[in-house]
Amino acid sequence: MRERLRDARFWALLAALASTCVALVLPRLTLNREVYDVVAVVDITASMNTRDMTPAGKPVSRLDAAKAALERLLSDLPCQSRLGLGVFTERRSFLLFNPAEVCENFAPLEVAVQELDWRMAWEGDSMVAKGFYDAMSIAEDLKADLIFLTDGQEAPPLPGGGTMLPEFEGTRGKVQGLLIGVGGHDKVPLPKFDDEGHEIGTYTADELPQENRTGPPPPDAQLRPGYHPKWAPFGTDPPTGDEHLTSVRTAQLDTLAASVGFGRADLVDSPNLLRILSEHAHTRPVEVAVDIRPVPAALALALLVGLYLAPLLARVRIPAWRSRGAVPPMHGAVLRT
Amino acid sequence: MNLALATPMVLVLLPLALLPLLLSSQRTQSYPSVEGIETDPLSVALDWLLRIAGVVAIAALILGIGGLHRLGRTIEKTGEGAHIVLLVDRSSSMDNTFAGRAPEGGEESKSAAARRLLKDFILHRDHDLVGVAAFSTSPMHVLPMTEHKGAVMAAVDAMDRPGLAFTNVGRGLALALDMQEADTSPAARVIVLISDGAAVIDRKVQEQLRAAFARRPINLYWLFLRTEGTPGISTVPAPDEQDTPQAMPERHLDKFFKSLGISYRAFEAENPQAVADAIAEIGKLERSPITYFERIPHEDLKARAFAVAIAAMLVLLAAKLAEVRLVPESEEA
Repeated sequence: MRERLRDARFWALLAALASTCVALVLPRLTLNREVYDVVAVVDITASMNTRDMTPAGKPVSRLDAAKAALERLLSDLPCQSRLGLGVFTERRSFLLFNPAEVCENFAPLEVAVQELDWRMAWEGDSMVAKGFYDAMSIAEDLKADLIFLTDGQEAPPLPGGGTMLPEFEGTRGKVQGLLIGVGGHDKVPLPKFDDEGHEIGTYTADELPQENRTGPPPPDAQLRPGYHPKWAPFGTDPPTGDEHLTSVRTAQLDTLAASVGFGRADLVDSPNLLRILSEHAHTRPVEVAVDIRPVPAALALALLVGLYLAPLLARVRIPAWRSRGAVPPMHGAVLRT
Repeated sequence: MNLALATPMVLVLLPLALLPLLLSSQRTQSYPSVEGIETDPLSVALDWLLRIAGVVAIAALILGIGGLHRLGRTIEKTGEGAHIVLLVDRSSSMDNTFAGRAPEGGEESKSAAARRLLKDFILHRDHDLVGVAAFSTSPMHVLPMTEHKGAVMAAVDAMDRPGLAFTNVGRGLALALDMQEADTSPAARVIVLISDGAAVIDRKVQEQLRAAFARRPINLYWLFLRTEGTPGISTVPAPDEQDTPQAMPERHLDKFFKSLGISYRAFEAENPQAVADAIAEIGKLERSPITYFERIPHEDLKARAFAVAIAAMLVLLAAKLAEVRLVPESEEA
């Protein structure tokens, strides 16, 4: 028995047995993980049909690109996160469903994202800033953060030469989140649809309002031909502009996001929404049970493998031993007992 | 037996389980000649037992580490229920109370009452598939037919958000029919229309709806959340009043539904209690046999793998304890 106690392989076997027993009885470890509660609101106005996004090398519409980004977010979000979905047109956001847990409800949520369609839109106007503020108040009410995906195309254009953002009336910082620009950086023509929803070419410059003349005139108005402070505050020339061309309005969205403390990114540059979201959203700690039983089991496995490999390793050591001049034992035969 | 591994990568370690076939865990000892020993079946059997115990111990540990489990399954069962599309009116008048004014104090708006009662209804229907569609100025697909109650609850929760201006019943119904059409199972199909008013359905849309309803049997329920004192479904116009869809949309929508030749019932509810009664009635009516799928969650087999490994190691340990030296230690090597 004494010499058995000196046998390293006996101890290795005993240790492997012991750590497997530990693995058998080890309880699950409770860890804290951070999850998100988010409402995603997607712009479904007509300009989102512009096909200037190429996420997988093929040109797709901005709406499809936004949907693909949301689908990716849905699968990237850690379990127990909640995602709600809404759409924006006109001047308000419309919540389709409250935030729902993403793992258990993955299948219906994924289909709901895929089914977003510009035909859900109830009006042609696209007052992005107002819709964004409305989405913020919905998110605040739901105690969630907001991801707002839009191309930033205001229709009709903002007053004051496209510079006057409407006032934000809520409390800054209550809702956090992202304002995501969707669309290419180059200007392309806006697609045009008939009453039945068929695409019938693109808009020309004179088919769209190029300037919003409802508010005060822009500061440089007195330089325009025919300017008169009372009778012609916007000058006498018909408005010119490129409202019929569209690209993601980076500068305008930057101003809008900065005014409410939101994170900003353009989808063309950063399609991974979760990475940006993690820097700009509230997190909610949840407890998750982690199974750590494989750790002692792995130790047992290593010991057991070592146990079998030991004689092989010993045999490798023998030639080195022999070269030192010692005579190895002569084995007439090897007998296993 | 649908076995699976959480981390299949561990399978690259599986060849390690062959080690015991090649090498022994027992001590090798010198012996002048094995020629002198006869092979006896017991020794051979013991030798193989030890090898196999080694293989089993290593393989079981590897599988346990890899997270061996039996896959969750869905089994088909028969119960009572239906495939339901909730078609919710999200027009802004739903935000008012049954008395026709903005809710104040302890009052409940019509959509809040409907929301509370619908959630209760869905929670108590175990085997239904429920889809949600909304309509206002335009129809909106909200959720596909699903058995995940969490998502349906979230969609019903959103129905008392401030809505949009108009009530486009026709296009909403077309969407609900599309959702039912996409589902090919033979279950009973139900559309529950929840609205607080009606509107004229375009004649072109009327024809499309008539054709769609004719294609397959669908039970239609109209839960009409009527504001007190407004014209209802059964209000008959006075002789001097116009009897046109524009003047009396509720009456004419009801007439249109009746003319479809489908199983149709309208519930006129003027207060939350009437809504509750109507929903209970729908629950009672929709009890046709339905095949549904019950999920059996996946079963963790790690503990069993470790138990098997322990059993095999106990055999090896027994062999270790039975080891004897043929020659005293000092003479060997």
